Amino acid sequence: MSAAATHPFQPQPSAARRSESAIFWLFRGATYFVLLCGAVVFLNIFVKGSRTVFQTQAPFVNTAFFTESPESLYVFQWQGQKMELGDKEFRAFKEKNPAAANVKAESYVYCAGGIFPCIVGTVLLVVGSMAIALTLGVSAAVYLNEYARDGTFIRFVRLAILNLAGVPSIVFGLFGFGMFVIFFGWNVSLLAGWFTLAFMVLPVVITASEESLKAVPKGFREGSLALGATKWQTIYKNVVPYALPGILTSSILGIARVAGETAPIMFTAAYVVRDKLPWQVDHFSDFFFQGVMALPYHIYVVSSKIPQNEYTERVQYGTAFVFLFIVALIATASIVLRSKLRNRYKW
Amino acid sequence: MASSAPADDTHFIAYKGSFRLFGLTLDDCIRVFFGGNAVVSIIVLALITYFLFREGSGFFGQNRDNLTVYRHAGLEYVDFIRTQQDDHAALTRYLSDLRVRQFTHYTMEKGLSLAQANAALASFDDFAGQYGDTVEPIRTLVSDLTEQATAIKEKFTVMEDKKVERTQLLAAGKEAEAAAVRIVPIDFVVELKPILGTLPAYREASAEFAKRLTAVLADAPAMPARELQTRMERFQQLNAEYMAGFPAVTRNLETWDYNKPVPVTQAFSSFLFGRQWLTASFWQDWYGVIPLVVGSIMVSLVALIIAVPLGVGSAIYINQIATPLEQKFIKPCIEFISAIPSVVLGFFGIAVLGQALRALSQVSWLSWVPGFPYSERLNILTAGCLLALIAVPTIFTLAEDALNNVPRAFKEASFALGATRLQTIIRIIVPASLSGIISAVLLGLGRVIGETMVVLLCAGNRIAIPDFTAGLAVITQPVHTMTGIIAQEMGEVVHGSIHYRALFVVGMLLFFLSLAINYAAQRIVRRYRISIG
Repeated sequence: MSAAATHPFQPQPSAARRSESAIFWLFRGATYFVLLCGAVVFLNIFVKGSRTVFQTQAPFVNTAFFTESPESLYVFQWQGQKMELGDKEFRAFKEKNPAAANVKAESYVYCAGGIFPCIVGTVLLVVGSMAIALTLGVSAAVYLNEYARDGTFIRFVRLAILNLAGVPSIVFGLFGFGMFVIFFGWNVSLLAGWFTLAFMVLPVVITASEESLKAVPKGFREGSLALGATKWQTIYKNVVPYALPGILTSSILGIARVAGETAPIMFTAAYVVRDKLPWQVDHFSDFFFQGVMALPYHIYVVSSKIPQNEYTERVQYGTAFVFLFIVALIATASIVLRSKLRNRYKW
Repeated sequence: MASSAPADDTHFIAYKGSFRLFGLTLDDCIRVFFGGNAVVSIIVLALITYFLFREGSGFFGQNRDNLTVYRHAGLEYVDFIRTQQDDHAALTRYLSDLRVRQFTHYTMEKGLSLAQANAALASFDDFAGQYGDTVEPIRTLVSDLTEQATAIKEKFTVMEDKKVERTQLLAAGKEAEAAAVRIVPIDFVVELKPILGTLPAYREASAEFAKRLTAVLADAPAMPARELQTRMERFQQLNAEYMAGFPAVTRNLETWDYNKPVPVTQAFSSFLFGRQWLTASFWQDWYGVIPLVVGSIMVSLVALIIAVPLGVGSAIYINQIATPLEQKFIKPCIEFISAIPSVVLGFFGIAVLGQALRALSQVSWLSWVPGFPYSERLNILTAGCLLALIAVPTIFTLAEDALNNVPRAFKEASFALGATRLQTIIRIIVPASLSGIISAVLLGLGRVIGETMVVLLCAGNRIAIPDFTAGLAVITQPVHTMTGIIAQEMGEVVHGSIHYRALFVVGMLLFFLSLAINYAAQRIVRRYRISIG
């Protein structure tokens, strides 16, 4: 019934129409090209990284990679076989086989062991800095949205937030180094890293919190005030609880940013290598004044600071995989939660 | 009875603010607390400025001292002659480039074997060798003078160190030890005498050099092709210009005065307009930011050239053309891309993209692309491509917002007048949101200029102004950037040294650059917004 489809208003094929559809295809191509690029990066790291992270026998996950510290890898010939052993295993092997005491082994730094201290360090950095950033950010947003009246002061605050969002991360690193590490004398420490990262995500958290607070209808506040509650009681009981899910989900994107940045922690919190785990400290207060290893910095170190060879690729891709996986998980959580939240609250 | 009851019953009177702190009620206190948190962003911004200045401001004084020593110790004097030598070396490179071209001409076009081509080039090699040797008198002189000047500088540095030592001892109250530190002030006039005494020798050497050059150039071999012949003529011309500069060098040497004070402005200008960033050198450290700025700009430019069409194009697509299903799927995906940490992208560049692009450049049917094929794996192009992937989500999100803010009525009115979708998009929607799109691009630029890890890992880290004579092929050269240099050198410098302070000044430059970009973006949004509705 092709005749039925023709009607007087049916679009006629013309040069203009053809060029229009060609240009639309160009736009479509641009969009999918971007997605393709992203997919290539993801797939490359997931495919090559999974070789390090997963294994064919049970438990199918390379547990040593997640639970051990980075070690040097020793490669040597032993009774006609090529042996690849980590530092600890190599020593044990030498004790077991006294004949191997003088075996000539080539050592490759960081190529064996795992990345446990880096994961711990990243988690500590994220938790601490987000705690600081959320406290400061949510309070600031409450002020901006609930208390402040438009005026010069508020304009200044908003301008500062806007500009803070545009400051390069390396400048935050320099600032953290100059203020916390040098001026306060905290040295390279968790505390310095926390504050540096917290200040960096502050604009993200404030903007996200303000948006969530704005979404709470005015009637909630007015109703509460009409019943005789004070301003604080209104905010505490009737505004913040309804805004909190939104604040938290939007702030997850801030978490992804904190976890992903390398430049600010390079001189403030990250060590290239550290033998002790963060909780192995003499005094409780030392906990805050110790540097940690962190995943992003470890990726930087293994991909550019150490000599490259056939063994480094394993640890590089493995670390990148774990890191990307964590960040992707956080980002997905934020995106999914946000779309759910949007559907749930309708005022 | 009813009228007297309320007066007695105090239970119904609300006591507002029984709690007081510094005369503030509880609610006031809470308000102040929240207000204090809101001020934090201003404080942080102020603190960043303060600490960058605090650590960086000493640089200009130190740089001036640095330049003064450069002059006092006679390094500047020697560098006049050294420049002459370096220019000659540049001309020698021109000759070797010419040789390569001749060689390809012989092997490719005339079909000669390698040995035959080399034989054909024998007279040219002879000429090039002679040309290279002409500089010998100057070279000997320079290497002598270098040693002497370095010795003076060394002496001076030792004395400075001793002075510092003495002040430290005095500060610690150890006066006896402080008195034992012997400081002999350096008499630069005496020290410089041997160096300045070489002026007649220089005149002689320079004359000899010029004579030899003329002699060698007189019997330059003929070139096998016209294109090569023009190059040879160009070479002759360059040499003529070069030799015409000799008297100026001599004049510089004659009028040079070690005691001429270094103006304060030079401490700034040698940083802002200096073309060399050279540290830990045996001769003289230079802190010129131009190579880094040029590197940053080149990388960002390449990134934006790639990212703007992609970002704006996909924003238009998603906002105007795509089906709701596509919208729902693609928007989170692009947000997802923005979550990829930059260090992972940098690693991807090192591990995959660098090699892939180089392999692509060596494909023969792509050799028409300027700069292809190239051999440096990490260069502007590699870093630019990765930075584009960072900039696209930023540009996309903000441009999409801007497009979204165009009222529906605009579109409907356009359709009602009979415009096609494309006409509506290009003539109505995009112009109406242009201010937003431009500010999106600017914020993307801010993001790209401030990006550290990708450029640190993938830009090649060669501190030099790329060779712009190569035309568009310049994008296949390695560079270093402002962000990269801070990240790379900050960990290794001595706290308080001039190098340390120079890095802070670079940070300051970046900070103000980002503020300026931000400001421009805001201005554009406010100024050029078409009144909507």
